[in-house]
Amino acid sequence: MMKVLLVILQVCILYIFSFVGISIQHFFSLTIPGNIIGMLLLFVCLCFNIVPVKMIESGAQFLLSILMLFFIPATVGVMDYPELLSVHGLLLIIAILVSTMITMAVSGKTTQYFAKKTQKREADQACETSSSQSL
Amino acid sequence: MRDIFFSISMILLTLVIYFVVTWLYKKYPLPILLPILSGTVLMIIILVSLGISYEKYMIGGQVITSLLGPTVVALAYPLYKQRDFLKKYLFTIIGGAFIATLTAMLSVGLLGKALRIDSGFIISLLPKSLTTPVAIEVAKVLEGNASMAVVGVTITGIFGVIISPYIFKYVRIHTSIGRGIALGGTSHAMGTAKAAEYDELAFSISSITMSICAIIGSIIGPLMVWVLQM
Repeated sequence: MMKVLLVILQVCILYIFSFVGISIQHFFSLTIPGNIIGMLLLFVCLCFNIVPVKMIESGAQFLLSILMLFFIPATVGVMDYPELLSVHGLLLIIAILVSTMITMAVSGKTTQYFAKKTQKREADQACETSSSQSL
Repeated sequence: MRDIFFSISMILLTLVIYFVVTWLYKKYPLPILLPILSGTVLMIIILVSLGISYEKYMIGGQVITSLLGPTVVALAYPLYKQRDFLKKYLFTIIGGAFIATLTAMLSVGLLGKALRIDSGFIISLLPKSLTTPVAIEVAKVLEGNASMAVVGVTITGIFGVIISPYIFKYVRIHTSIGRGIALGGTSHAMGTAKAAEYDELAFSISSITMSICAIIGSIIGPLMVWVLQM
């Protein structure tokens, strides 16, 4: 029971950050969405220990563990687009599918390549240092 | 009073469906049984057979959707837990997120033009690799259609999650960093949920990539419309 109350209280804290973020977005009329601003704000607060991690940990873990649930109402909205079943919809879906595959392959492969290169360079440097030390 | 009863029953129905499909997926982890896919299909079948419109369903549904806000904020938690790692790979992740967002927007824009799709629809599809609440707002800024953006985001999310094991196998993406960038940068939160199936590192990279893509996407979105001359 205590655990449930703790989770609810911590979700409320997350709501406050969401609200503050949205207010900042509207106030400065930014194109960066309010919830993202709220997230960055919370991240900064955690890093500087303004908000101790214990204060949001259980609530955040709970929300993230049931992430998929929050998308169901949004995705059910597909039912309002029966034209997706026509030829035009088919072309649209093809464009999305092909683009998704391209994006995933290109971003994953490129990043992996550069990450490995960086690691290798660091390893080489570490090697040089250790060999020079042994001399 | 009847509205309250109706919306509560819609929330309960969504919860029951969610728990049933999650339980089913845990028992049989097949791509076709992915909770978001089977849950959505099941929900649509039930609504259509009961003669309930989407608009009516959303009286209750929006209560669940409203939790998306604090959930996006909650993404700061895995970000914080992996902060040392993030500091180490900051440029790789920002670079990866930039490549992902640029590729996603350019490829769907050019493909859409080649297939002669309505420019209004193409604009709505530009933010399809961004997380749902962000994509909606970006679509609005670009004067696209918000609901169409959600459709694009959803298809990208579901398809990305389904196709990712094959892409990873054939293009040989086997590091946590590569997988995290690919999943978070392409399939946003759904990809991030999928990344959790690999390891915590891939999950964290995916969630920070998703967040950074949201920022990059809202900046380069208007630029893309200009580049693609729509």
